[in-house]
Amino acid sequence: MPGKGLLIVRQRSLIAITAALAAGALTLTACGSRDDDGGSDSGSDGKTVVIGVDAPLTGDLSALGLGIKNSVDLAAKTANKEKTVEGITFKVEALDDQAQPSSGQQNAVKFVADKDVVGAVGPLNSSVAESMQKVFDDAKLVQVSPANTGPTLTQGTDWQNKKVRTYKSYFRTATTDAIQGPFAAQYVYNDAKKKKVFVIDDKKTYGAGLAATFTGEFKKLGGKVVGTQHIDPDSKDFSAVATQVKSSGADVVYYGGEYPQAGPLSKQIKAAGSKIPVVGGDGIFDPTFIQLAGKDSTGDLATSVGAPVEDLPSAKEFVANYKAAGYKEDFAAYGGYSYDSAWAIIEAVKKVVEDNDGKLPDDARAKITEAVQGVSFDGVTGKVSFDEFGDTTNKQLTVYSVEGGAWKPVKSGTYTG
Amino acid sequence: MNELPQQLVNGLLLGSMYGLVAIGYTMVYGIVQLINFAHGEIFMTGAFGALTVYLYILPDGTSMWLALPLMLVGAVMVSVTVAVGAERFAYRPLRTAPRLAPLITAIGLSLALQQAVWAWYPEADSPITFPEIDGGPFEIGSVTIQTGDVFLLIAAPISMAILAYFVMKTRTGRGMQATAQDPDTAKLMGINTDRIIVVAFALGAAFAAVGGVAYGLKYGEINFRMGFILGLKAFTAAVLGGIGNIYGAMIGGLVLGLAETLATAYIADVPGMEQLGGQTWANVWAFVLLILVLLFRPQGLLGERVADRA
Amino acid sequence: MSGVGPVEPGEGTRAWDDVEAPPPTGHGLPRGHPAALYYARHRRAVLASAAATAVLAGGGYLYATRPQPPPPAVGPFPSQVVDVTYLGEEGSPRRAPKGSFTFAVRVTALSGPTITVVEISQPYAGLNLTSVPKPPFRTRTGFGHKIVVTMNVTECANTPRNAGLPFLDVTLRNTRAIEDHSYILGERYAHDLSEALQVACSNDPSSLAKR
Repeated sequence: MPGKGLLIVRQRSLIAITAALAAGALTLTACGSRDDDGGSDSGSDGKTVVIGVDAPLTGDLSALGLGIKNSVDLAAKTANKEKTVEGITFKVEALDDQAQPSSGQQNAVKFVADKDVVGAVGPLNSSVAESMQKVFDDAKLVQVSPANTGPTLTQGTDWQNKKVRTYKSYFRTATTDAIQGPFAAQYVYNDAKKKKVFVIDDKKTYGAGLAATFTGEFKKLGGKVVGTQHIDPDSKDFSAVATQVKSSGADVVYYGGEYPQAGPLSKQIKAAGSKIPVVGGDGIFDPTFIQLAGKDSTGDLATSVGAPVEDLPSAKEFVANYKAAGYKEDFAAYGGYSYDSAWAIIEAVKKVVEDNDGKLPDDARAKITEAVQGVSFDGVTGKVSFDEFGDTTNKQLTVYSVEGGAWKPVKSGTYTG
Repeated sequence: MNELPQQLVNGLLLGSMYGLVAIGYTMVYGIVQLINFAHGEIFMTGAFGALTVYLYILPDGTSMWLALPLMLVGAVMVSVTVAVGAERFAYRPLRTAPRLAPLITAIGLSLALQQAVWAWYPEADSPITFPEIDGGPFEIGSVTIQTGDVFLLIAAPISMAILAYFVMKTRTGRGMQATAQDPDTAKLMGINTDRIIVVAFALGAAFAAVGGVAYGLKYGEINFRMGFILGLKAFTAAVLGGIGNIYGAMIGGLVLGLAETLATAYIADVPGMEQLGGQTWANVWAFVLLILVLLFRPQGLLGERVADRA
Repeated sequence: MSGVGPVEPGEGTRAWDDVEAPPPTGHGLPRGHPAALYYARHRRAVLASAAATAVLAGGGYLYATRPQPPPPAVGPFPSQVVDVTYLGEEGSPRRAPKGSFTFAVRVTALSGPTITVVEISQPYAGLNLTSVPKPPFRTRTGFGHKIVVTMNVTECANTPRNAGLPFLDVTLRNTRAIEDHSYILGERYAHDLSEALQVACSNDPSSLAKR
């Protein structure tokens, strides 16, 4: 029967096409996560240890993630070149978490399974960190995040009343939202003199947490919250929200979330006719925000952790070295913090190795975790050391404003309490 | 200020875009009973086609009034090429295969197209700025209409009118109706069904391309993932309106857009519903609406009974 | 395995686009023409411009990484070396008006050249601030200076009764720069301040307190 033969041919080609398509899709996906150790091998003598990096290397937040990865790579290269730890060569292995908690956890499991990993830098997102903490803690593998600002990660869920450290292996070099949110509220209320706020967040750990700490302080100062809204991070249509903002009569919008949504949101709010500034946290402090928000974003504000780079001589050196190393992507908002996070691990390895006659001990991971608690050095972002919760002791914040298509620092503050 | 008129306009605009894309789902389904899950990506490639015309073919600083028609042509060309290519090489060989095979192929094609744009279009790994039409927003009473939305406002009804005319009055259109009713009999009557199927894919792609340009103008940026969520929404709209019915697609789109917008704006004001309001819950409410409609009208708002289909 | 991120065309590609883009006709739609010939010519042009780009990039790299004299050493920005900590509430000085709040802070310049405290202020509209010693004054590096600050309530309606993290704004100057910096003195300060303000404003909460 000719018909049947035809059918078989068709089914064969079906299989071929499906296979080809699947293979194509997989190959392309794999391109995004192909291996690259950044060439940080420099010496072959002695032992090579790995510093893991977990960050969103693809997707909307990749600008921040790639900055983290490159900065850690720079730290490892610098340590290898200067032979910071005699007999130890550092290698960087970066895994992509796509800003997804589930991917972050898988990556954490991979790092734990790799015997050569002595510590990990990352992740970017607080929600991802939540999924990784226990995996690392069970293995006593140290994790230093350059960017997590959610207070619960170090101080427990009831941090407002009773601070309890949850995981001994978790540290961060970024300031928490417990300070960032109120800092923004103080600036908006007192310096920018805005009294009526419309608060929007994306319901994620970072965004909702930040919006809550901002709202709390803004109300205490006497400001009024004239509306709240939670946006869907998968959507690009914020016109309904923008209309609400306009009719609420707010004179400022606070957004807890990240720039892929904040940019279009700011643009649509202004397009709807509310010429009021949008204020956000370190999650919107990226040039991409300005690009997405368009020319009307002038006057929008962001708080970010740390002092402006131009204020720190150590940061200037970092910027110069970063440029010289020829990375394709910008170091972005967390570059300096990532370098310092990696360096904290390197310092800890150094101490452990020196205490053990120049060799890595058998229980290196636990010893390194202990040593990170005690590190103290002058890093890119100032003095680096950790308090009893694993939070940084260097608590600086800066308010930036969009002027002439770029972020310009307007005010800095230091938490000394 | 009473924001209801503005919210209705917001909803209608969003819905028009869903409708433009939904037409492609519904036409293809009506003729070959295939849910072309790659249609969202056809919409996406259309937007990239328009951007390519603007960035790489037209000289810098071309007025948008001149550029827009050319961009539209570029968008339609790219979308139609992709859709017809997909039909020829991915779906036609599977026409007699079990129903699931083309469905899986469609999903694979969707992934492949997304990744192809991501990998090969310059700088497509992050959102790309789409050109905007200059000129301030238009105020009509308490309603503000953005310049970028004007295109959608004009293009959506015109497209619908053209489609209605085409399907009702032209020879090919009537051939499409016949093929949808009974492909075998249509073939016996001398209708070239292969050609009709290609036309259905091409038409759907052209509307998706118009939608893609509208998306770029409305939101000012496009990215390789934009087709995924929007495609799902448009598919929902097609089902809501009655899949297989072209008017249903447009009505379904409008209803879905309005439902999402109004849910975002008003659900949180209902006492006791604060936690279930806001944009994060808008999709949930839209799907609650879909389920309700399908409970009482399983064929969708304007759909016909399709029980005799096999 | 690990990720590097999206695959992008190399830098040469874009330059090539610029060079080759102008004649768009037929670019996207190769017809039955002697396309191979066209493509071969095309490819040669690509190779030529790629080589040119490589030379330029190489030259640029060498130029950019040429040895440079180290920049002259400059002092740090003042805000980066000054530490301000809250010491606690103090008894009001004799001439202080009723309803005022007096506290002490320690200002320490940790390193670098001498720093001058140009001004101490606070951002709330309903408060007025004076301090002893009165700014401007100079600090000695490495030495903690105790500063007694007194705040008067001028208008109860505009005071932060219950601020969580109130600031103290300090203007600092050294040879490098003059800077405004906010010091967030922490919870103890916030607590003492709100308590004092509640006491000061409890008698007549709406109108002016006595000056």
